[in-house]
Amino acid sequence: MYYREAGRLVKSFADDRRMLPLKEDRLLSTLFVVGVMYILVTAFASDYLLSAIFIPMMVLGVATLGLNIATGYTGQLSLGTAGFMSFGAFAAFNLVLRVDWMYIPLAFFLAGVIAGLVGIVFGLPALRIKGFYLIVSTLAAQFFSEWIFNAYPWFLNYTTSGVVNLPPFHYRVFPFQELTPLNDAFWHSSRGRYLITLTITIALIVACKNMVRSSTGRNWMAVRDMDIAANVIGISVAKTKLMAFFVSTFYCGVAGAMYSYCYIGNLDFMIFNLRRSFLVMFMVIVGGLGSILGSFLGAIFVYGWPILITRLGDWIFGGGTLDTAFVENNSKIVVGTIIIVLLIREPGGFAALWNTTKQKLRVWPFSK
Amino acid sequence: MNTSTDSKKPILVLDNINLSFKGVKAITDISFNVYEGEICAVIGPNGAGKSSMLNVINGVYIPQEGSITFEGRQFSKMKPGTAASMGIGRTFQNIALFAGMSTLDNIMTGRNSFHKATFWETALNMGRARREELASREEVEKIIEFLGLQSIRKTPVSSLPYGLQKRVELGRALAAQPKMLLLDEPMAGMTMEEKLDMSCYIQEVNANLGTTVVLIEHDMGVVMDVSDHVVVMDYGKKIGDGTPEEVMNNQDVIDAYLGVSH
Repeated sequence: MYYREAGRLVKSFADDRRMLPLKEDRLLSTLFVVGVMYILVTAFASDYLLSAIFIPMMVLGVATLGLNIATGYTGQLSLGTAGFMSFGAFAAFNLVLRVDWMYIPLAFFLAGVIAGLVGIVFGLPALRIKGFYLIVSTLAAQFFSEWIFNAYPWFLNYTTSGVVNLPPFHYRVFPFQELTPLNDAFWHSSRGRYLITLTITIALIVACKNMVRSSTGRNWMAVRDMDIAANVIGISVAKTKLMAFFVSTFYCGVAGAMYSYCYIGNLDFMIFNLRRSFLVMFMVIVGGLGSILGSFLGAIFVYGWPILITRLGDWIFGGGTLDTAFVENNSKIVVGTIIIVLLIREPGGFAALWNTTKQKLRVWPFSK
Repeated sequence: MNTSTDSKKPILVLDNINLSFKGVKAITDISFNVYEGEICAVIGPNGAGKSSMLNVINGVYIPQEGSITFEGRQFSKMKPGTAASMGIGRTFQNIALFAGMSTLDNIMTGRNSFHKATFWETALNMGRARREELASREEVEKIIEFLGLQSIRKTPVSSLPYGLQKRVELGRALAAQPKMLLLDEPMAGMTMEEKLDMSCYIQEVNANLGTTVVLIEHDMGVVMDVSDHVVVMDYGKKIGDGTPEEVMNNQDVIDAYLGVSH
């Protein structure tokens, strides 16, 4: 048996609908997720690698996926991503703070739901306006979030500095810890946080993939491609748009909660600013609109590039040669250039490049 | 007036429809019936208001006056969603496919009213979501086979040639299992061969599934061959209504098509 797609006859519709139709793909991805991501990385990666590379990349990937659901799959432009993330982060914080029996996974889920409900409210203008005008109304979500968390100190538990540290051990991660060998100390370490982030990320990817390969995703894309035709064949455009906004902001909200709890370890509304919204939007554009893989490729690239050139600079010129200003400007130039080139040459982003490559390899060497 | 269809039951009754856009009258006082199980052609010169007529029937345009009765339910305002749920399918003059999706997904989308699973059920791939997907797929495969679209099942529709796109659009409308199909120029811009294929599909759907068809067409050969009933429009008014033979011999129709010397 060769690892290739040609000559594989699908014998049932259920088989044809699988996420990964090839047996080898299923085997390899299981091996990768379980063997590499869960076992090798958890066992051998350094604290730096876990908390400065893997965790933020996954968290930003989830936020990018969230924006991609609204923008890439449903065609609703949004610049409120960081605002929606902050709703998730603040919801998770207040749930953990004010509800005694709260545990992290449940808090993240509820934070997503709360952010999703906020998303529905800010998605309401989408029922009447389209395209660039919608950016303006989602921008309102961004500024609203920055204002409300500043104006009402209750959300920050009356912290005077405007930043709440989420120090380890003030929150419980899982119930029944007495019964397991892994206690809170483990879950608050970078390894524990990595495992939580990884599990949530995988669950959200699978859920998203399930949605886009079924009626939910088809309705989103129908509204994106031609809303009048969607309406005529019986899809409720309003319901579909609001549902997409809910799911999209659910993802952003969970990403925001993970950003605070698993990545930076504090809660600060200044972090979820417009700059971050733009950054997530760039990740969507670079990675590929309407692609799950692209969301993560975009997040990995845009987040990883500055780190990569810092490391390269250190390696080539000796440690600390490249100052942060240079790295920051360089990454702006590179990401900007790549966005321009991609918009002209391949509007589908990295995901489309990957698919073209796969398509070419499929027929290689018989055709160019 | 129309002896051949008097015995049949009207599925659609249009009564005194008036539609205008900011003072421009698109449709003036149009009434006609479409009978169950027939193929009804709406013809007329360009700009006669034919497409507007279809848009009124399935609620894309709301007429200022008049009523639409479909299967005994009377509406002064039809909504596209209501029309779809009552079984009115529709194709468009300029193809209105979902460009970013494959042929299969486009046709599957046509079955959205059969999908009751909520988004969280689909997200978790729960029983009902899975069952509905597979049931729809089975139905859609029948349509794909009927229209001969097997080889382009997974092709993005934007990369298909025009004739095939029209066929996929018919497939999407059929997937909803409509009682009545509104086809807006299903054969426009097609080669002779493609027109023949399309006529066959339409007639077969009509004969085998009993679907009532209302179509707009400019090719008189096709109209006379396939239709049981012809409605002729000119400048937003109805100038002829009857069997193809009756319409062909109607002086007003001849004048509208060939012109009259003043």
